[in-house]
Amino acid sequence: MNRFFYAKLAVNNIKKNAQTYIPYLLTGIGTIMMFYNMSFLAIAKDIGSLSDSAQLRSLLSFGAGVIAVFSVIFLFYTNSFLTKRRKKEFGLFNILGMEKKHIARIIFWETLFTAVISLGVGLAAGILFSKLMILLLFKIITFKVTFGFEIPIVAVINTCVLFGGIFLLNLIYNVFQVHLSKPIELLKGSSVGEKEPKTNWLIAIIGAVSLAIAYYIALTTESPLAALFLFFVAVILVMIGTYCLFTAGSIALLKMLRKNKSYYYQLKHFIPVSGMIYRMKQNAAGLANICILSTAVIIMLSTTVSMYVGMEDLLRTRYPRNILVSARNVSDEQANKLDAAIEKHTLEAGLIPKDVIRYRSMSFAVSQDGANFTSDHSNNFAAGNIAMVVCLTADEYNRMENKSVSLDRSEALLYTLQGDIPGDTVNFNGFELSVKDRLASLETEDKMSALLTNSYFLIVADVDTIKQIYNSLSVNQGDMGELSYYYGFDVAADKEAQISLVSALQKALKEINADCYVEGAESARAGFYSIYGGLFFLGIFLGLLFIMATVLIIYYKQIAEGYDDRERFEIMQKVGMSRDEVKQAIKSQVLAVFFLPLVAAVIHIGFAFKVITKMLAVLNLTNVQLFAGCTALTILVFAVFYVIIYGLTARTYYHIVS
Amino acid sequence: MPLLEVYNLKKIYTTRFGGNPVQALTNVTFSIEQGEFTAVMGESGSGKTTLLNIIAALDKPTSGEVFLNGKNIVSIKEKEISAFRRDNIGFVFQDFNLLDTFSIKDNIFLPLVLAGKSYEEMIELLKPIVARLKIEDILEKYPYEVSGGQKQKTAIARALVTKPQLILADEPTGSLDSRSSSELLHLFNEINNDGQTILMVTHSIKAASFAKRVLFIKDGEVFHQLYKGSMSNEELYQKISDTLTLIATGGAHSE
Repeated sequence: MNRFFYAKLAVNNIKKNAQTYIPYLLTGIGTIMMFYNMSFLAIAKDIGSLSDSAQLRSLLSFGAGVIAVFSVIFLFYTNSFLTKRRKKEFGLFNILGMEKKHIARIIFWETLFTAVISLGVGLAAGILFSKLMILLLFKIITFKVTFGFEIPIVAVINTCVLFGGIFLLNLIYNVFQVHLSKPIELLKGSSVGEKEPKTNWLIAIIGAVSLAIAYYIALTTESPLAALFLFFVAVILVMIGTYCLFTAGSIALLKMLRKNKSYYYQLKHFIPVSGMIYRMKQNAAGLANICILSTAVIIMLSTTVSMYVGMEDLLRTRYPRNILVSARNVSDEQANKLDAAIEKHTLEAGLIPKDVIRYRSMSFAVSQDGANFTSDHSNNFAAGNIAMVVCLTADEYNRMENKSVSLDRSEALLYTLQGDIPGDTVNFNGFELSVKDRLASLETEDKMSALLTNSYFLIVADVDTIKQIYNSLSVNQGDMGELSYYYGFDVAADKEAQISLVSALQKALKEINADCYVEGAESARAGFYSIYGGLFFLGIFLGLLFIMATVLIIYYKQIAEGYDDRERFEIMQKVGMSRDEVKQAIKSQVLAVFFLPLVAAVIHIGFAFKVITKMLAVLNLTNVQLFAGCTALTILVFAVFYVIIYGLTARTYYHIVS
Repeated sequence: MPLLEVYNLKKIYTTRFGGNPVQALTNVTFSIEQGEFTAVMGESGSGKTTLLNIIAALDKPTSGEVFLNGKNIVSIKEKEISAFRRDNIGFVFQDFNLLDTFSIKDNIFLPLVLAGKSYEEMIELLKPIVARLKIEDILEKYPYEVSGGQKQKTAIARALVTKPQLILADEPTGSLDSRSSSELLHLFNEINNDGQTILMVTHSIKAASFAKRVLFIKDGEVFHQLYKGSMSNEELYQKISDTLTLIATGGAHSE
């Protein structure tokens, strides 16, 4: 009987606190569903039949990990909000004669019910949706759909263990909260008199400085390799800056506004400014979270979407020709053999090589300092002074471009893909060449490496000159060997024909030169789709998760504020404020507070745009326009979503206030 | 012409789900002259606060009329009510109703800001009032940093700063200790002596004994009234006490 009583009371409590409990339950169900689906996909049998399954699996496992971490944070956050709201209720129970252990018992039942409901519904929905998810994933990575349905028990167990743990954690937290507090405090709970927040200039300045540094890094980083490393530094600085500025900077700014008498003592500034000083104190961290989450969502979606949409571009960037042959240490004789073998196998396949580009060259990875190149690699790659110098002979150049240039041994032609060499000479560790001419174009295809580092093509007199460069750059004076060979061509053939041609060439060419690699765009396509498609899928999935988190934070903020503001606006009405004025005041305040994170997020992205394009270049996406379009579209969609969420939750807010 | 005239005021609260209607005011008629300090007394549930809310245009009567300076409050349009309230009526509440987010000074400024006054004008209006109430020292503090008496003084300053026709006080001493109460009531007397009309609702005999006239409300009607005339506070206290005893023990109407 007694046990029944507490359980009943718990059910009643959940019903009565529906306004805050339902979002909590929905969060629970949503995260459980997502986590189950992600862990299901990571071990699903169907994915095993994929060629790049390991990579995709690790990508999905990573996704599951991210969801797990965020689930802990969200559910804990939501729960602590609930508990804070309900302290008064617990205090009342306490005063009515319930001991703390009885309250703990109620809390236990409540937690049990929420856990059972969330896990039950979440898992059921997750299992129901899992087939849909795998179909969606396969559609995205353009993989043939298989039939059948599986419920991996491991995924179910993982989900139960993780979320059971989270609910247990929340239970412990709640019981602890009740245990620590005194009845009178419980009664007052959420309405402890607040002091005006102090201006913390130090933190505000730290915030401004870290944001400024982050923006500076984002704007000035030119080398994609350096971008990869520095981006993470910038991200951390942006996070620090956002938190500091939202917490301390906002209050400092508002207080400055308040000091400006003629500005402050106007109806449309008076109430919002004073109200926001307090609002920011309570909400700064939450708003900073929203800002960072929004930024993450937008960046994640825009990058993954643009990579997925730009897949063909991406393949073309990575594989400038359908079929690429590259070999190192190739003698003249071997080069001829390779040419013959390529032609023979292509013709055998009934195809004709088109748009052939072939040349022999020597590449040097060097450190650049103005016009001086050294092989000093003590500087790491992040330093951004790494340069690629590709040397061709004049004969090769003449053949490629149908020209008849002749060069002295001390002369060179320079073609710059990326970077800049000042002056009229190029110096390789003491070996100097004068730049006879700068070429406007050169039919080379190494565009990808050009985007990673500075790249120069140098046309010199002959192989001996290249050897001289090699010798002055090398410390150990070893033999340079032969030049490298590059052979790329397009074929008009379908996927299967191209793939079989590539494997035929692979076999044949290996016999001529061991250091020979044959790559085909079509052979790589499936792999590309599984990786970038996987990323795209993950982007959408995590984007949804983050949006859910944003919704949740906004919703709870609105409720919390609603209760806090109700009293204030009642007083203002008594003092002579009309309902319309009250509504107007609420609106401008709430708008400012909730759109601040979105605006800040868009500014972050604006500054990050350049460095992200650099990083995408590393991932072979060079279509800046496409990325810009995707970013703009994502921001737009996100903003629309945000406005809808805002509108819906604002209604709850008005309902509470009036 | 009296400053405030209340005719046949009736207020019936009906609950939404067809419960029994509650008659808060049955038939209230009285008037207040310019410069009067009137206390309205009655037990809990006698309709005092309902009356005050109707006079302040915070609530609409079921029937009856209220004139302030000849203007009918009941028929004022919803849009104009707030401005009307702001310009003509000053409020002092039992629980002060100060905003924690504003300093003492800004709390006093609130109605002026709502009225769209410039900062210079506001300062001019503020100076004499804070000097009279002796709260110059706490202007920059916040409500949670000052005592109850000081809070109520702030509320009075806020009520006075717009130079209203009428000050409405709802149990102004209800949250104060006896010393602060006395100080506050003396302050009311002083303000009243300067010509400010005050209508105070209270069930504290001591508070009422500071007024120049006391109205007694019982069961939603004006039951009786007392004029202070040349009586001292103590004598009026005794009279009020007697009248309340009479009301409580069910005496007949007397005038």
